[in-house]
Amino acid sequence: MRELTYTAAALEGLAEEMERDPLTFVVGEGIGARGGNFGTTVGLYERFGPARLRDTPISERGFTGMCTGAAMTGTRPIVDFMFVDFGLDALGELLNQTAKIQYMSDGRLTMPIVLRGCIGIGNSAATHHSGSYYSIFSHFPGFHVVVPTTPYDAKGLLKTAIRSNDPVVFLEHRAVLNLKGPVPEEEYLIPFGQARIAREGCDATVVAIGGMVPRTLAACETLAAEGCSIEVIDPRTLAPLDIDTILASVNKTGRLLVVDEDYGPCGVAGEIGMQVMERGFDDLDAPVTRLTGAQAPVPYSAPLETAITPDTPAIERAIRDLLTA
Amino acid sequence: MAIEIVMPRLGWNMEVGTVVEWLKQDGDRVNAGEYLFMVESDKSISEVEALDSGTLRIPGNALRMGEELPVGTVLAYLVQDDEAAPPTGGNDAPAPAASPAQTAPAPVAPVAAAPASAERATNAEQDRVRRRRSPVASPRAIRIATALGVDWTKLTGSSRSGRIVEQDIREAFARQGAAASGKPADAAPVAVASTAPPAPSPAAIPLSPMRRTIAERMARSAHTAAAVTLTTEADASALVRVRADLAAALLARGDTRPMYNDFFVRLVAVALRDFPELNASLTDEGIVRHEALHIGLAVDTERGLLVPVLRDVQDKSVQTIAGEAAVLIAAARAGKTPQADLQGGTFTITNLGMYEIDAFTPIINPPQCAILGIGRIVARPVVIDEETEAVAVRKMVVLSLTFDHRLVDGGPAARFLQRIKQYVEQPIVWLTA
Repeated sequence: MRELTYTAAALEGLAEEMERDPLTFVVGEGIGARGGNFGTTVGLYERFGPARLRDTPISERGFTGMCTGAAMTGTRPIVDFMFVDFGLDALGELLNQTAKIQYMSDGRLTMPIVLRGCIGIGNSAATHHSGSYYSIFSHFPGFHVVVPTTPYDAKGLLKTAIRSNDPVVFLEHRAVLNLKGPVPEEEYLIPFGQARIAREGCDATVVAIGGMVPRTLAACETLAAEGCSIEVIDPRTLAPLDIDTILASVNKTGRLLVVDEDYGPCGVAGEIGMQVMERGFDDLDAPVTRLTGAQAPVPYSAPLETAITPDTPAIERAIRDLLTA
Repeated sequence: MAIEIVMPRLGWNMEVGTVVEWLKQDGDRVNAGEYLFMVESDKSISEVEALDSGTLRIPGNALRMGEELPVGTVLAYLVQDDEAAPPTGGNDAPAPAASPAQTAPAPVAPVAAAPASAERATNAEQDRVRRRRSPVASPRAIRIATALGVDWTKLTGSSRSGRIVEQDIREAFARQGAAASGKPADAAPVAVASTAPPAPSPAAIPLSPMRRTIAERMARSAHTAAAVTLTTEADASALVRVRADLAAALLARGDTRPMYNDFFVRLVAVALRDFPELNASLTDEGIVRHEALHIGLAVDTERGLLVPVLRDVQDKSVQTIAGEAAVLIAAARAGKTPQADLQGGTFTITNLGMYEIDAFTPIINPPQCAILGIGRIVARPVVIDEETEAVAVRKMVVLSLTFDHRLVDGGPAARFLQRIKQYVEQPIVWLTA
């Protein structure tokens, strides 16, 4: 099968959906002729024109509100925040309007909008370009929250996101954007709420989120050489969360580590651990543990940045701890 | 320690109440059950009785009468003879009312006085120490230990914190198997132990909760008990006659017709009086002989085996047993047996006679010591006099007693079974016993 980068696969999915449905359009800063800061729209401006690839001024609240209104009329906006940190300027619109309009209209209005952006720590991007924020969007009712980590998943989940009649927050971790992977030529979609077992194993379960997936898989390679068999689960969508797949794995292994680059307190890792405790208590052979980023503003300094982020050696240590806990 | 008398919560919505009258006075001796005071809440006036005995001490001499007080407010104390009055006691200022935010029901044993809280602290500390000393096992380890019949309380945990984990249980199970089979532990098959079980065959029927419970209990019994089964044959002709007579009499009165099981329950009860070692359980502390005799009846239901328990059969007639057993069996067949009726048995009787089974090897119902299996009652030619070689047709029954050799030896168990045989053959002896 051919191999594409994550960004190219997502771009292909976006182009297919824009081709398929003339009501889809992209709004954001530098997504027109420039092709997007992360190459999310390269070549689409030439193909679909300025009406459907709408460059905006730096006015997140304004264009997010307008796209919410556009979605209420039945069009399918894709808001490209570049860094999802910038979407914070539109948080009032997002939480109070975008996420609630279906409820407030008693279901008469739909909200087929995709809100996408880059997340994650790395490259000395510093604290305004390094956030994850999925815990916020997963906490409030109304959003689907999608965090793909492979080219295949990026394309299949983006297509599902664009066709969804609910608001979808589509988050792309900076560490996976250039990873290559197999992507079939023929069309496919991936439903929300289905986790991916990224690696099978029987000694312990590790749920890894976003950019932590490739690092966790690398750590498991080292451990496999010593005979440790670790199961790695990529939830792919955090809302809805496929807790059943995680529970089935914990039933098999008895041990769970959640690796999340995001802050620990009130985060997705804690949520997953709690749900496993509630529903899988009798399967647990050791306390559920989490490895998260340090709760601090992300530093510019590269050594400090490394120090606050779970890297492959840290994940390996956490798994070793879990195996003897 | 002084016992607090507080404004009770008499209904879910009650937040405040008013003492309208004290029925006992400061300094009165009060016995548990006596009325202390009358309280008025939004719906009614009720008398409140003392739950404990002691001398009543009302601070400020019933100052609080007629005043609306939050639930939980301390109104008075009961003190013991050798005890000083509570710190706020006597005629001092009234005890502080519960803060408005604290409208929750009063704690069962509120902290009344300094000595009480000190005592509590000591207990909590002891609890912590005890918990630290006793072995801790993971939920998963406990679950698997239960399924495999491994006593995890005696194991040492291998995890860093000392907690007993799944692996410790599986290793202990392998050692048990090895000890039983005389093979080294490594060679012992650990059927349930594979961490990567083969994919279940598509035809496998998932275990219902009831099936799982039965499986775990039976496996535990088979793995832990040193089970030995004895069988003997008894001439039940007299029993058949007695039962027919009694059944006719009871039926005429509209009472429940007794089943053979009901007679066996009664005669086992009588026999166990002389063999208390068979009405026993093996616990961590040692062998416990039960005073009471609660006999479980194995009942075959659509959902699976249930063993409802007849309580205190030592005091009951066949007739009473018949009535109670009929109710238990009907409930079991209807799937409506309360959990309480399945617990606390000290001996079990199982009967497969209706399926033309003679002898079998019943599995002990843990933690009991023994189980009596009853076969069919069937007419057979029997030598009744060896001298004359006289043969007669008699109603015979085979009795199968499985007992746990860890608790009792073969001699007493055999004598117990022999006693039952004698009772079956001379039912009048035990019916009138």
